[in-house]
Amino acid sequence: MEVNPLAVILVYFDSKGDRLLYRYPYHTLGQPHKLEEPREELVNKKRNPFAVAHTDDLLQTPTQQSQNQGTGQLQGFADDVLSALFAVKPQLCNQKFELKLNDVRFVSHPTLISSASTVQANASNNQTLATSSTAASAAKKQQMLINIVFALHAQASYSIVKCYHELSKRLGLALKFEEQHSGYLTEQTALMARTHDEQQQQPLERTLELIAERCSLAQALKSICNDLCTTGLLSTTLNQNLTLTFCLPAKAHQLHKKGSMVDPETIDRCLRALKPYHGMLLLVDFAELLDCVPPTGARMLWQLVDAYNPLISLQSMASNADLSIEHVYKLVSHLVYWAKATIIYPLCETNVYVIAPDAPLHTRSHLVEKFSTRFAGISLFEVISDFSLPTSIGHLTTPLQQPARQGILAQMVLWMLQHHLLMQLHTYVQFMPSDVDDEFGDSASCAHVATGNLTEEEQDSNHTEEELNRDRDPDDDPVHGGSMLSMSSQPLPMPVNSHRRTLTDDHFSIASDNIAVQPSSSHKSNFSMTASMSTDNCDSLDSMEDEQKLKELLHVFNDADRAAIRRIPASLNVDDLSLLVKLYQMGYFKSEHHLEEIMYFENLRRSQLLQLLDKFRDVLILYETEDPAIASMYNNK
Amino acid sequence: MHSHTNEGISPGSTEGKIRCIFLSEFHATAGCKISCQVPENYISKEVFDAINVYIIPKQHLQRCILTVNAMEVKIVGYPVGIQDQQKYARNAFLFNLCFVCDSRARSVQYEPVVKKLSEYLIMMEEESCFLSREDDKLRLQNIFETVLRDLNERKVATIVEGDNTIYLKIVMHKPDPPPVKDHMVPLLLANLRDTPLENWDLTTQQILPYINGINHVARIAAEADVETDLVKSCIQNLVYYGVVQLLPILKYSNVYMTQNLKHLIQSTALSNACRKYVALQPDKLLPSVQRIFQFYASMTHGVTLRAICQRLCPQHHNIDERKMVIFGLQHKFIRCIQKYPVFTGSVPSGRQKMYTGLISFDEICCKTGLSPFTIEKDIEKDTNVTVIWK
Repeated sequence: MEVNPLAVILVYFDSKGDRLLYRYPYHTLGQPHKLEEPREELVNKKRNPFAVAHTDDLLQTPTQQSQNQGTGQLQGFADDVLSALFAVKPQLCNQKFELKLNDVRFVSHPTLISSASTVQANASNNQTLATSSTAASAAKKQQMLINIVFALHAQASYSIVKCYHELSKRLGLALKFEEQHSGYLTEQTALMARTHDEQQQQPLERTLELIAERCSLAQALKSICNDLCTTGLLSTTLNQNLTLTFCLPAKAHQLHKKGSMVDPETIDRCLRALKPYHGMLLLVDFAELLDCVPPTGARMLWQLVDAYNPLISLQSMASNADLSIEHVYKLVSHLVYWAKATIIYPLCETNVYVIAPDAPLHTRSHLVEKFSTRFAGISLFEVISDFSLPTSIGHLTTPLQQPARQGILAQMVLWMLQHHLLMQLHTYVQFMPSDVDDEFGDSASCAHVATGNLTEEEQDSNHTEEELNRDRDPDDDPVHGGSMLSMSSQPLPMPVNSHRRTLTDDHFSIASDNIAVQPSSSHKSNFSMTASMSTDNCDSLDSMEDEQKLKELLHVFNDADRAAIRRIPASLNVDDLSLLVKLYQMGYFKSEHHLEEIMYFENLRRSQLLQLLDKFRDVLILYETEDPAIASMYNNK
Repeated sequence: MHSHTNEGISPGSTEGKIRCIFLSEFHATAGCKISCQVPENYISKEVFDAINVYIIPKQHLQRCILTVNAMEVKIVGYPVGIQDQQKYARNAFLFNLCFVCDSRARSVQYEPVVKKLSEYLIMMEEESCFLSREDDKLRLQNIFETVLRDLNERKVATIVEGDNTIYLKIVMHKPDPPPVKDHMVPLLLANLRDTPLENWDLTTQQILPYINGINHVARIAAEADVETDLVKSCIQNLVYYGVVQLLPILKYSNVYMTQNLKHLIQSTALSNACRKYVALQPDKLLPSVQRIFQFYASMTHGVTLRAICQRLCPQHHNIDERKMVIFGLQHKFIRCIQKYPVFTGSVPSGRQKMYTGLISFDEICCKTGLSPFTIEKDIEKDTNVTVIWK
């Protein structure tokens, strides 16, 4: 894996010269792992020299793994060469330093540290020294350079290199602090150097082991290197005083999803798109959360975790936890970066889920077993195949079933979301008046006839399975009818689904206690159906005023659009039109905002919005797709 | 608050140009110095002093590519030492030819070029003391100027210097494309049709006429009468060079899903290109963006291409639905939803062994040579098989 460090090297440089004090792993750099060698041979060489290569693969390039094996080692560089290389000149200190040698990339942040003892000594010896200039030069000489170098594969991407640089920088800063605090670095480096001198007859590996036993700094570096290779999350205490926490996202996110490469930039992009209506889904147990925050930040995190619920939005979580939304954003961002949480839209019955395109669903996936252990022998494939078509929890359960079943299903959906097996689909709206006039002026009529014929032909085949022509007489304008029909002809569309819900809602909403999912309540819309019905009825109160108002409202659109809107009967209704114009002017009909977002920011009910969209379906195109902010965390094909 | 953050400017590394080329040498009296630099003084004295350890390094590091990235410059070098007791004052001549890039730029692609140019210089030095003679720096400067200009502009440079001709070429290093499979459909990307056929290699010449975005690999092999493996490796090669893109096979029973569809509207250039591409008869009035958008927007889970065509009659609006799908896949407005049969029983036998969830329906059809209909019936009968769409 190109993410893992090949080695960590500690180089020390002061007036007496440079020295490589410690490195981990110990095996002499330049020799490949002894353990790995025989295995590698097995892979690369055929056991039988006469074995016939599989003809299928003969001309295809071999897989990358076998090509890259064996490379990336620190080939043939003695320790003194490395130490000379990393004892950089003072001009290069306190900034990023990157060196690439053949196929190894070294990254570090050389840090200049003034020795604590000199500072004290200077203070006390000031009178005894003859001139201040010698004191100054003595102090200057006592500067030491510490360089913690990470050796990486040359293929490591820019963002990974950046992370390692950041880590080296933080380690340098921490050591600087500890040095000024208690002379920790002087003590540790002296101890390491002494061990090197004592053990000159011993093989180097033995010496390094001994150093790790004796020196806490060496231990810390060793554990850092190990942690980076295993989890990518580290929390190390230096000098039993300063705790350094660090996360390598590219590695940490692989824990939950093998083979994924999430770089910090992707996470940032996702987090920049955070909205108050988003929700959070924890990926780990509560106990595992604390190791990602320094003790000082733990209180606020607990406050949030106490209010944690994947069914509610960040906004509600913030108010429940008595935190400001900005603080919640920060905490959530931190948890997402540390691969402890993921961003979702709060789980509710109307959410439409579908299998993620990159879901690792195959018979040998470890997730299959994990799922059946978690949910008492239920087969993952059985459950997830329900989501082959976009489906909501509300659709998969019926009021007749016991409420517990719904709770379990919600748990399963959460589990599948945690493992990125499911992805939520949202409906987006695009304002797009049809173009009856400008396009196909002459061919429109022939298209008409042809469509008429065609629909008749098709009716036998279509009628039974899709019923899509049911509401449409053949001489209806063939231009329209695409968008909404497409919605209603799909097996489990949003609008139909939610209409059904609103009906069942009244009977059922309180009954579902397990799953506090009342979409209507989460979108602040508990007023009754009659409110929206009344808008239809007030057509009769048409007056001159309304006429005037309609005209004003229509001014927002350009001529062609206005004409298209005028053809829609609902455009005569002031309320409907003003809501449409409002949403249009807010820019909600540009494929940028999904229905849930419009509902949240405009304080609308789903049914209200859907009714409006349905009335103006001739100028609006609705389609389903994933939320780009959240989808960026998935590895799209 | 509402505005959607879409500016995905990746702060990652970029392909950078060569900013400067210089030759550094270890002078018998003056020590490390830059003896020739194009353009002049790009690397300041302070910077050079800080990093000269990495430009003229110790003997262990000679003849290996050494890149140092510090003080806002990235320097790719290939340190060389030529031992000769007669010729040189210090028994050896140490030098390093370096390319300089921005510190954020990728520089891997220059490594072989630096090495090759260094090897040329070593040869010229050994033959005629080209580098170590003081008066020759002007000629070297000319070489550097040409290399810098030509490599940045054309990625290729040819320089004639005395008896030697130097050929340099930047080869971009890309990861290997995934292996090509029988059921994949190669699509030739635009503007390459014009390249004369005889400029391609023999296999490509033979299969090129059959690459149309509709034929899959196995069919191309059969029609062009070329061995399937040859076709595959040829297409893989074309994919590597970005000449060909691989798409899923086009069937009217396919299901597509939209993604990032808004790009189609937001970019006028793209929507115009789309209108032109999908037109059934290019000489007639081009289909409108609205209609095309409507078409794409109706693609969703559970709706087959056949159903969409029956409903929207694309042909009556001068739209070729096949081209529409190809364009959408090519620009990633849509993706094909694949079917994956999964065997959930205990011991698979026969064809069930293929139902692992890793092999798509198309691939199974191609491998077994059976029609989708047969496979579908087979799966339907088998209670141990679940089908997953993703």
